[in-house]
Amino acid sequence: MSGAAVPSALVRDLRLLVVALVYELRKVTTWRAGFVVRELMRGMWRPVVMIFVYATILVQPTDRLGSYDFRGLVAYLILAASFEKLLFHQRGLDLSDQIFQGYVTKYLTMPLRFFVLALARFAQHVLIQGGVVVLLWSAGALLLPQWWPQPASALALVEAALLVLLGSYCYFLTCFLVNALAFWLDVVWTLSAMTSFVFSFCAGVLVPVSVMPAALRDTLQWLFPYWAVNAPAEVFLGRLGHADFLRGIVVLGLTAVVLELVRQVLWRRGLARYVGAGM
Amino acid sequence: MLIRMADAGKTFRVWRRKEGFKGFFANFVAREWTQVTALANVNLEIRRGEFVGLIGANGAGKTTLIKCVSGITPVSSGSATLFGVDSFALGDGEKRRLALVMGQRSQLWWDLPAIDSFRLLREIYSIPRDVFERRVEEAAKRLVVTEKLQRQLRQLSLGERMKMEIIGAFLHEPDVVFLDEPTIGLDLVSRETIRRYLVELNRERGATIVLTSHDMEDIEETCRRLVILRQGRVLFDGDLVGLKARVYDRRSIEVHLEPSSRTWDESLAPRLAPLGATLERSAPLTLLFSVPAANVQTFVPLLFELFQIRDLAIERHPLELLIRQIFQSGQAPAQLSSGEPKA
Ligand SMILES: Nc1ncnc2c1ncn2[C@@H]1O[C@H](COP(=O)(O)OP(=O)(O)OP(=O)(O)O)[C@@H](O)[C@H]1O
Ligand SMILES: [Mg+2]
Repeated sequence: MSGAAVPSALVRDLRLLVVALVYELRKVTTWRAGFVVRELMRGMWRPVVMIFVYATILVQPTDRLGSYDFRGLVAYLILAASFEKLLFHQRGLDLSDQIFQGYVTKYLTMPLRFFVLALARFAQHVLIQGGVVVLLWSAGALLLPQWWPQPASALALVEAALLVLLGSYCYFLTCFLVNALAFWLDVVWTLSAMTSFVFSFCAGVLVPVSVMPAALRDTLQWLFPYWAVNAPAEVFLGRLGHADFLRGIVVLGLTAVVLELVRQVLWRRGLARYVGAGM
Repeated sequence: MLIRMADAGKTFRVWRRKEGFKGFFANFVAREWTQVTALANVNLEIRRGEFVGLIGANGAGKTTLIKCVSGITPVSSGSATLFGVDSFALGDGEKRRLALVMGQRSQLWWDLPAIDSFRLLREIYSIPRDVFERRVEEAAKRLVVTEKLQRQLRQLSLGERMKMEIIGAFLHEPDVVFLDEPTIGLDLVSRETIRRYLVELNRERGATIVLTSHDMEDIEETCRRLVILRQGRVLFDGDLVGLKARVYDRRSIEVHLEPSSRTWDESLAPRLAPLGATLERSAPLTLLFSVPAANVQTFVPLLFELFQIRDLAIERHPLELLIRQIFQSGQAPAQLSSGEPKA
């Protein structure tokens, strides 16, 4: 045995550790934009959002949150959770992977609009989640009738459903946009996670927007997430009326148009620089 | 003209990684970008009904050429057109006449059985239902995968999957088909089946086929025209039959002698000369001759006359030898020395 030539296991481990560390550092810095998003920006949104959440809670009198008492809040949360379930989900679209891994190439030689395939995803999601929500909703209403929220009227129910559906479509377009960034970036997953967290705050999933500080509330009411979850919940409960519903439809409709235009431009530009990786 | 590339070039932008500790920061802050030339000044015209083999060493630009012509990625200079339209601006009408098979990337849907993928393709290409049923049935029978149509794609073997890919690619009876290494990793029988299928489609339907492969047998048995790429440039573009004739008009004859036989000496050379035969290699009991194919009949009896022969083998010069020589020398066949390739 020539013990002198071969370093001990510990030394070998240490050397390997150093080499592997350098390798890991290199990997992380290969994609610059990716580095900025993943390493610098990740985790920064939650504290910012939570500051607003606590600001909202702390300005309230003790036993109420704005116009909500505890019971009302429970009803609201049940609705918000149900509507959020109906909304399209980031994970429903594996587009960024397809782009990044080069799987999109197959569609580029086919006579189809790729977006139609993504739309099918959206439709599938609406159908499945619609079914699931109806089931859960019925079960909840049977088991916990005293806590379960009832629609203010049949019209309120329809209006709420329309808002959620249109809001879900806007969110789907947003997801598509974020995913399409995979033509340029490698960090779409991280971006998606950030988007969905910020979205859920703006949508009033954590705290109803109506009880937030006035300036924040007034701002959020111009953004589509509010009209996708919070507003429909309050329309359902009769807290918002017909005029609010109409305003919501306008905001959501305009958002959808703008997102669609951006989507078209982004998709075209992305394809022009696409090379179809790894073939 | 179905496919035309005129002075087509394609460059990719890549950054050069610097080594070392300082390089580590330099890489992040100020990157040094360089151009990789994947294609340069490619001029290529392919007519309807041609069966073209596209070969070249790894990184020669075969896949890039296919991507440029089929409209997946735009050329950086010059032009590439398909059906007379700029490849990167193909409309649905042109796309309907086009198919692409990538050996490395599935064109079918991974989680669905092949038959479901085909149904989706039927919709995409608006194929009438009865026509569709007939084509699937016929193709599956020819490629012997009828049993596997209902199985999830991810559960098929590589070869079975490739056959499905090929069935899918031909469902809409395209006028032009690009196949990038469709036989990669397939067994001999599957390869044979796929080749035959392609040849039949080319012959019966007049489909124009552009095929890349690293397996010269694929090319030899299917293509009539050969395009050789080297470092992004077209090195050779011509008739495969002619090229084959150049190597096929000679035979290698390996002779094993009895220990008691006379051995080779220079005095025998004049006897070979009239037949155009040459001695390629000689070992004490083994001789290797090269003879024009036409003279084999008279040359073999002469050998028996001269030597006591234990065993004798006649073989064609494989095309692969010539191709290898072309790859290595970077010279087109016309410029190659007239000597036959030697093993
Ligand atoms: N997306 C890309 N970015 C940078 N360089 C690329 C890219 N794609 C290809 N290249 C380079 O272009 C050249 C041609 O690549 P291509 O894939 O066309 O080769 P090929 O002939 O298909 O090789 P193979 O036989 O290995 O498949 C190679 O040098 C490759 O490194
Ligand atoms: Mg290739």
